[in-house]
Amino acid sequence: MDTIQKYKEVFINHLQVTEDQLSTLTYQSVSTWDSVGHMGLMANLEDAFDIMLDTDDIIDFSSYVKGKEILAKYDVKL
Amino acid sequence: MIEFTSINFRTWAKLGQRGAFFGVAVFDIAEQYPKLMIVTADLGFLSGLERFMNQHPQKFVNVGIAEQNMIGVSAGLADEGHIVFATTYATFITMRSCEQVRHYLGYMQSNVKIVGSGAGLVMGFSGNTHYTIEDLSMVRAIPNITILSPADATESVKIALAAANHNGPVYVRLTGELNNPMVYKEDYPFEIGKAVVLRPLGNVTVFATGSMVYNAIKAAEILEAKGILVRVVNIHTIKPIDEAAIMESTQISKLLVSVEEHSKIGGLGAVVAECITQFGVAVPLLRLGIDDAFKHCGNYKYNLEQNGLLPEQLASAIENRYIAL
Repeated sequence: MDTIQKYKEVFINHLQVTEDQLSTLTYQSVSTWDSVGHMGLMANLEDAFDIMLDTDDIIDFSSYVKGKEILAKYDVKL
Repeated sequence: MIEFTSINFRTWAKLGQRGAFFGVAVFDIAEQYPKLMIVTADLGFLSGLERFMNQHPQKFVNVGIAEQNMIGVSAGLADEGHIVFATTYATFITMRSCEQVRHYLGYMQSNVKIVGSGAGLVMGFSGNTHYTIEDLSMVRAIPNITILSPADATESVKIALAAANHNGPVYVRLTGELNNPMVYKEDYPFEIGKAVVLRPLGNVTVFATGSMVYNAIKAAEILEAKGILVRVVNIHTIKPIDEAAIMESTQISKLLVSVEEHSKIGGLGAVVAECITQFGVAVPLLRLGIDDAFKHCGNYKYNLEQNGLLPEQLASAIENRYIAL
């Protein structure tokens, strides 16, 4: 599985959204991406890409698009 | 049904003890106990209750900034057969509501579980008014209240479930911040009143509770590199204390140490001191905790450093005392 597909699948599986929702998906735009869902999403991304996100990046991770920028800092090329 | 899996442990760690308790465990409790009620004093969102409030509005009561009233309302609900969790910051629930806690939970033994979040020094720049450094001392002097203090977010989930199952009043003391360091990476059996030996070998025994369990483990690792083997025991139940675990430690240790994010007066160190005095054994006890002073406030790490509670500082204090034996 390529990296971008892996990134998409974490969102789709964890937040129970469809692929066509991803490009505009932001924190709290769906009920599953609340504060609890956010931390589960972060843990699943860490697990998928074998990284450890800094607290500042966890707080800054406000959307599907922003997440790509943040993961780039961890050498995850999407 | 909650699954104790590694990915969940990691998620809960990110949520912190409070988020794991009120964002995860309470849903399991709500399934098991239809008469669950959660009462707060204006701290729904800040307690991580956002999801619960949305999904179970009929099981949630916000009394506003009225902590004493919160305890009275909670006791009334409990006396009508509900299992009640009441929550706000630890300093408010134990100090501002102290008389109500004493009378409704201690004296009347209403089945209320009070959950104090942000205990210790984690409230940072909110300052000394929001720090909770005397709660263990106060609450453990009140009869009939079980006191629980989780070491990490996973144990916070375990404690939430255990408190719901426990028939009687409970005080749960939540410490640490988001991204709470993980003490437990695998599932383990939890029982109220039964301490957990996390590092079994050594002739120094450190009793630690809450956020300080992780720091004690890190201090033990530092000392091991210097040739000093240190046992670490997680005292997740302050009352009733596991006397057997303390007694056993007095028999195999040259030095006992207590570590807590609480005043050195009246908390875990005092409990251990009372036990060894009662046993009539003579093992030195080094008590590490928050100094008997109101210091300048700062961020969490700064506050811990001011009180010598960072791992390197704990290791240094233990080493110095051990060498001086």
